[in-house]
Amino acid sequence: MLLIDDLTVRYRTPGGEIEALSSISLQVEKGSTVALVGESGSGKSTVALAAMGLLPQEASIPSGRILFDGQDIMMMNVEERRRLRGSRIGLIFQDPFSVLNPSLRIGDQVGEGLVHHRGFSTERAFARAIELLDEVGIVRPESVAKAYPHELSGGMRQRALIAGALASEPDLLILDEPTTALDVTIEAQILDLLEGLRRQRGMTMVFISHNLGVVRRISDEVAVLYAGQIIEQGRTEDVLQRPIHPYAKGLLAAIPRIGQKQGRLAAIPGRLPDLRNPPTGCRFARRCPFATPDSDKPQILRKLGDRQVRCTNAEALREAPWPRPGESEQFAEVVRSPHAGPVVAVEHLTKTFGRHAGFAFKWRRLATSTEIKPVNDISIEVAAGEVLGLVGESGSGKTTLGLSILRLVEPDSGTIRIAGEMVSGKAQRALESMRRSAQIVFQNPDSSLNPRKTIGELLARPIERFRLAPSGEIPARVRQLLDLVRLPAHYADRYAHQMSGGEKQRVGIARALATEPRFIVCDEPVSALDVSVQAAIVNLLADLRDRLGVAYLFISHDISVVAHIADRVAVMHHGKMVEIGRADEVMNAPKHPYTMKLLSAVPRIDGPAPRSVGERHGQVA
Amino acid sequence: MPASTPRSGSVAMSVDQITEAPVIEAAPRRPMSLQLKVGLVITGSIVLLGLLAPWIAPHPWDTISMRTRFVPPNATYWFGTDEYGRDVLSRLLMGTRLSLAMGVSATLVSLAVGIPMGLAAGYFRGWVDEVLMRLADVFMAIPPIMLGLLVLAVTPPALWKTALAVGFVYIPPIARLARSVTLTLANEEFIQAAKARAETNSYILFREILPNAWPPLIVEASLRVTYAILLGSALSFLGLGAQPPSSDWGLMISEARAFIDRAPWIALAPGFAMCLLVIGINLLGDGARERLDPRLKSRVTER
Repeated sequence: MLLIDDLTVRYRTPGGEIEALSSISLQVEKGSTVALVGESGSGKSTVALAAMGLLPQEASIPSGRILFDGQDIMMMNVEERRRLRGSRIGLIFQDPFSVLNPSLRIGDQVGEGLVHHRGFSTERAFARAIELLDEVGIVRPESVAKAYPHELSGGMRQRALIAGALASEPDLLILDEPTTALDVTIEAQILDLLEGLRRQRGMTMVFISHNLGVVRRISDEVAVLYAGQIIEQGRTEDVLQRPIHPYAKGLLAAIPRIGQKQGRLAAIPGRLPDLRNPPTGCRFARRCPFATPDSDKPQILRKLGDRQVRCTNAEALREAPWPRPGESEQFAEVVRSPHAGPVVAVEHLTKTFGRHAGFAFKWRRLATSTEIKPVNDISIEVAAGEVLGLVGESGSGKTTLGLSILRLVEPDSGTIRIAGEMVSGKAQRALESMRRSAQIVFQNPDSSLNPRKTIGELLARPIERFRLAPSGEIPARVRQLLDLVRLPAHYADRYAHQMSGGEKQRVGIARALATEPRFIVCDEPVSALDVSVQAAIVNLLADLRDRLGVAYLFISHDISVVAHIADRVAVMHHGKMVEIGRADEVMNAPKHPYTMKLLSAVPRIDGPAPRSVGERHGQVA
Repeated sequence: MPASTPRSGSVAMSVDQITEAPVIEAAPRRPMSLQLKVGLVITGSIVLLGLLAPWIAPHPWDTISMRTRFVPPNATYWFGTDEYGRDVLSRLLMGTRLSLAMGVSATLVSLAVGIPMGLAAGYFRGWVDEVLMRLADVFMAIPPIMLGLLVLAVTPPALWKTALAVGFVYIPPIARLARSVTLTLANEEFIQAAKARAETNSYILFREILPNAWPPLIVEASLRVTYAILLGSALSFLGLGAQPPSSDWGLMISEARAFIDRAPWIALAPGFAMCLLVIGINLLGDGARERLDPRLKSRVTER
């Protein structure tokens, strides 16, 4: 169906030419699903764009062919390509929130392709759109077809997009991270839908994702990309259960697994090679614990059984496990003091958002006053040195809860006690000591560091602010902080844009630690990071907890990460806390139906093979 | 860092690797656009001429000489002489200083008032925002010349008052820009982090937000300088700014108006000078905007 042969793609950038893909070859059989997985910068999305003939102006293709059903896509002119896209290849993007045109009705957008490519009348296209919406499992398709995108939830929008891609009855569907922007329960529904469509229509799919659990559920075959090369390719179950290439081993080892508590996660050190001038040998060699002198020679993708692996030592490495960090590190003397009371105690905390905040002219009363309670009567305690995990889907109020505890959002009622101090009901300027003892780490490393300040200035400010050290000692303190988060001292002179995402997140953690807090709210601290970097940050947070006795409220939508780091887990749903308990109990024996639903929706990389569609059909809404 | 670090997979080694890995450097600076170069040359030379005026002016700018009235441009008087026999070129050069001083000081006034206004409105939102921005709307609703006239008509005219009046006229655009930049910056997580350290509002406004707001503000300000020069000259033309025998360009044009049929060079010289300066500063500002304003970056790289 789709054959990519020796494809190389380069991008011109102001910094020089980047080789995004190097000699990629991929064959997708009719009716099969092939997944491309890799971290950011691996070139997986470039493959999709190239296959659709949608590469941007800056891209050049020095070599390679892309054959779709025997026709060379690159030999086609613009018009032929456009026709191919409209009729035989469908594309679904990552973000259902920005792809739909907000000023057109859903039905019109779904049927658009039919009008342009099949010569349907607008009315017939609209009628067909309703049928398609019905097929992708949308309840009451007539009314949804008349709705505008903002009236639909994320999952509904993604369904509508899939319906739109299906409209022209394509033979090939290319999906670029189709579920990444969605919550796990919605993700599970979309995956079920795709699986069902594939069976019914015999559709061929290229599925691009960074999430190995998702890939395992949907694909027959998987190709793992690293730095623009395929490094391992084979049947999904084989590759995920018994990876051969060291990078694939590392990637799989870095993922926390629910129900298997480990001391520390395995991490892949280092970062991607500079793609302006990629190494001639193995591109992973510098990060590879198994590297040998042979690794510096050019590596080819070799056949190994029914698998292809780009590693000279593949045979020898077959059974070798990725090295695990020592279970009990040198921090034997844990500073936790169980006899002391909770460091944070929150009782009956409630926060309501009305429609109007602040001053507005009210010409007429609003007919309906919509109020939402993102935090509804929540009571939690966090003991010193404890990690309380907080999970929930988007909109469940977990971030608002974290911000309310720190009084960064003003709660409406309830009491908050931090380090023995009554924090609720005090004026903001009376919170001086609380601001020292409670800190926060944010989700987005690009947004959490002021781009105009050096890392040294960023870390010095909290020390200055709370007069924690005489000014002469501040540089030494900054070096200590950098050392604590394992960054070299010369990073003090850098600006945020000169660092990678993981390094920025380390600085964010160091800044929170600068005030010597006893409690830190970690708001999705690893959600913006790649798997291998995520593991290193999670390990760092765990080490700091053991060493400094800090307590965390660890907020995340990623249940497996929370299950790994947390001592206790709280589950939030629509502003209410539905379950709280010891991490292993909540993970292995959830009591609340919502927790069960959440846990069953998480796509896993281990355990029994994913259930077939028939068994799950009842859950497809 | 030694590459022989035992590869145990612990976090510590990631640091060793980080230091080995190449730093992702910012993209090398793009070459300056033609627009920016031309703008820099024009503006730079006018500023230089203005600064050096007392030393390079070929004749005294204010000495009246009845024998040399209305001399057309020639080898001695390059731009001719005016109705009092004064050298137009010398007056023009001296007037450059006045126009530049006018434009720059008026813009400084707008910045000094507009930036805190915009920062406060964008950061505090709510009633502060409403009050400040509605105030700005009222200012904007009055035509600039009218507003200038209003300020100057009630007090005896003087150049510094003109600068102040012009500065006030251009507060709203600066305040609005500062506000819109602040609105986006206020949602950044580093502002939350500052709040989590109990930083004062003024620290957050001026030390966290303002440094990030400078690039668009500087560009806007440089363009405002040209408006200020034009408005200042217009007010001087109306007799509400610089007073004779000052050689302000607007005043020069105003005084030459009566002789426009007999000696057009007296009015044309300051007119052209003003055009050139305004074009130069505009090119400079637009060129700088393309380099500094991230919103336009994508468009630029597409070229």
